Amino acid sequence: MKNSFFKKGGKDKESKDIKDKTSKKENLISMSKDYKKVIYTNEKTNIEFKIEYISSLVDEKIIQKSALPYLLEKEFTKITDIKEILPIAEVEISEDPKQIEERLFTGFVVLTISSNKEKFCFFSAQKEIGRNISVPEVEFSVIGPKEAFVETLEQNLNLIRKRLPVKELIVEETTVGQLSKTKVAIIYLQGVVDDENVNTVKQRINDIKIDQITDSSFIGQIISDNRNSPFPQVLDSERPDRVAAVLSEGKIAVIVDGSPHALIAPTTLIEFFSSFEDYLLNWILASFFRVIRLFAVAFSILVTPLYVATLTYHYELIPQDLLSILITSRRVIPFPPILEVLFLELTIELLREAGARLPTKVGQTIGIVGGIVIGTASVEAGLTSNVLLIFVALAALASFTTPVYRIGNTIRLLRFPFLLLAELWGIIGIALGFSLLLTHLIRLTSLGRPYLEPIYPTRLVDFKDSFIRLPLDAQRKRPLYLRSESPKRMNPKGNKKKDIDE
Amino acid sequence: MKSIETILIMAIFTLFLSGCVEKEILDDINLIDGIGFDYVDGKKIRGTIVFPIFIKDKPPENRVLTGESLLKKEILQDIQLQAADPIVTGSMEVVLFSKELATKSGITELMDPFQRDPGVGSGIYLAVVEGETKELFEGKYGVRGNSTHISDIIDENIRNEDLPKTNLQIFLADFYSEGKSPFMPIIKKKSKDVVELTGVSFFNKGKLVETISSDKMFFFKLLVDKYSEGLHRVKIEEGEAAIRSIRSVHHYKLIKKNPMEVEVTIDVQGIINEFNGDKMYPNLERKLNKQFEKEINQECLALVKNFQEKNIDPIGFGHFVKTQIRGFDYKKWHESLYKDLVVKVKSNVEVTEAGVIQ
Repeated sequence: MKNSFFKKGGKDKESKDIKDKTSKKENLISMSKDYKKVIYTNEKTNIEFKIEYISSLVDEKIIQKSALPYLLEKEFTKITDIKEILPIAEVEISEDPKQIEERLFTGFVVLTISSNKEKFCFFSAQKEIGRNISVPEVEFSVIGPKEAFVETLEQNLNLIRKRLPVKELIVEETTVGQLSKTKVAIIYLQGVVDDENVNTVKQRINDIKIDQITDSSFIGQIISDNRNSPFPQVLDSERPDRVAAVLSEGKIAVIVDGSPHALIAPTTLIEFFSSFEDYLLNWILASFFRVIRLFAVAFSILVTPLYVATLTYHYELIPQDLLSILITSRRVIPFPPILEVLFLELTIELLREAGARLPTKVGQTIGIVGGIVIGTASVEAGLTSNVLLIFVALAALASFTTPVYRIGNTIRLLRFPFLLLAELWGIIGIALGFSLLLTHLIRLTSLGRPYLEPIYPTRLVDFKDSFIRLPLDAQRKRPLYLRSESPKRMNPKGNKKKDIDE
Repeated sequence: MKSIETILIMAIFTLFLSGCVEKEILDDINLIDGIGFDYVDGKKIRGTIVFPIFIKDKPPENRVLTGESLLKKEILQDIQLQAADPIVTGSMEVVLFSKELATKSGITELMDPFQRDPGVGSGIYLAVVEGETKELFEGKYGVRGNSTHISDIIDENIRNEDLPKTNLQIFLADFYSEGKSPFMPIIKKKSKDVVELTGVSFFNKGKLVETISSDKMFFFKLLVDKYSEGLHRVKIEEGEAAIRSIRSVHHYKLIKKNPMEVEVTIDVQGIINEFNGDKMYPNLERKLNKQFEKEINQECLALVKNFQEKNIDPIGFGHFVKTQIRGFDYKKWHESLYKDLVVKVKSNVEVTEAGVIQ
């Protein structure tokens, strides 16, 4: 009884609110300080007209220089005339009052003539505030292009369009977020991309119901196949060259307004370990660095668990010459290996967190204080052995070699379950952990495409650009797993350089 | 939901079952790296273990503990009473037997635990000690600990000198093979800080029956192993030559079946490293070759004869003949055939270089 009463009352109140809102919409807008409403009179025809805009979104220079002089001095009688006298490209005439709010808040100026209030005219005068294109900071490369995405969607699209000036480059735009109204652009190359992938992305993005999108990572997390996986399933890049390159392979890029990172999907695990610089170097060098990177990652994940496992269970594995070093450095330490390792690993994680949160200049100091002072001091105090200090430092260093920042975070985390298993079961535990990890990776998909490809399912041809990067000659076809509509991308094999022999 | 259950169950199993695994934290155990057995009386044996105590920036100190008992494992228990940390056998390097023990009571029972213990590597070295093993372990040799030093001596002699390849694995294979008898190197404490390899001992059914001295080892190795880096001195009228970088291979061939006759061909290559005569002539070289061949033939034949008399077969003729004859009977072989076996040794020596200045 009581419940239903309240419910009823609540409902009534709600509907009343809505009514109020609609009637008060004008008032609601005018409550904001940056809402401007000005009434002018045309000098020639004496028609009174009103312009409304949000001053924080509109470039008033445009109004003053390209709109007002014409509106005041040129002849116009009807609202439709405005389209002809204004030297602005985006001028629209509409009769739909619902559009007013939307247009106002996307940087349009709304113009109404006092005599005819049914029709509105919008012309765009957006203010472009944003930083200039700068050097990539997360995915820095020594050679190659030095431009990175910024927060403005148009500018980012411009960067990509410039690299792929073809009509096949399709940019589809949707809006996501009830409050943020974030513009999201889905970009792909028609004729190269697999339509199924495009549909998946479109459908997943259109299904998003969320109040606000701050960054592309939101979209990335929401459209991921497995949200409980520590592995990122869409690649994010701040390099327009990388995005252009993968678009031409047949992948899909998603750019979100307000985010300097483009999302790339579908992706594979291997791709996270390939830096874009790999393609700019000779293939032998590039392959060497890739192998080093993979080795570094394996090292980073496994070295401390192996240390714990060996020292706790498998002393037989230690060569005689190493025994002396290990035992002498461990003898004074009061903790079992696992605590010793956890202590150091957590110290390193603390340093990393502190370094990442602090301003650059203070961050450097923290690095030095942490690295040198805490490291040596903890060894001297007998809390950790110096052998372990080297391992942990190397492991931390190795986890930084990943070219994509996100996977580096995953590697940071992965070490800890392995450590726990190593403590409980020794090397068998590590093997167990590895099996679990492998199972997880095998089951993981990115846009429904296998994440561990080309290892599983085995696609031998795709090994051409995985652990090693074969020369461009061997990359005549687009990756198999993208199921591109036109797999060939280079002239067929066998053309010799047509140099003239002299 | 189901996956959460699975994860929970797995986590529980991982946590609880981990109690079944025994922890051996590296710095809380006594890693014995050498063990030695001495003869006490007909029943009892005395075991000596040695484990290193590592000290920073210094060679490890050797701690020696002894115990007396009937079984090897019991010895360890006996010794454990004297040690603060658990004794583990996983980083063993050498197992030594005193010559007295090996001759009088044999080593068969003592070998047993080593083949059962999965922690003991099959690459460890076995050796017979002239004198007592306890005394030997109490010395101080080298900078890397006593056992490591002894194992390094054996290792070095196998690699570059005259000792044929041997370790626990090979010893056990020979030990259990009917057609071959096992052998072990002999070491001796020469002084407080020197250990020396003095020869090779031969076993018959776990008992030491014969030894050869280190100067005969060269020929024994020619017969059972191949050389990749060896040195030997050959004396002729004009002077004495040292032949270095000896490479050798041997082949056995069964040439007659009744009575059995085996021909051993040994091919040797080497470089003359040192010659204390006047000058090296091509025909001197030939003379050297001849002399070397003669020596090999004589000494090898003498070795084989000696083995036949003692009824041991460290060269593995029995094993070889079995591979050549269908329906081979080991019983007959041990009874009479081996003693009647005729062995011929043929050798080809080739000196490939005689030095740069001639």
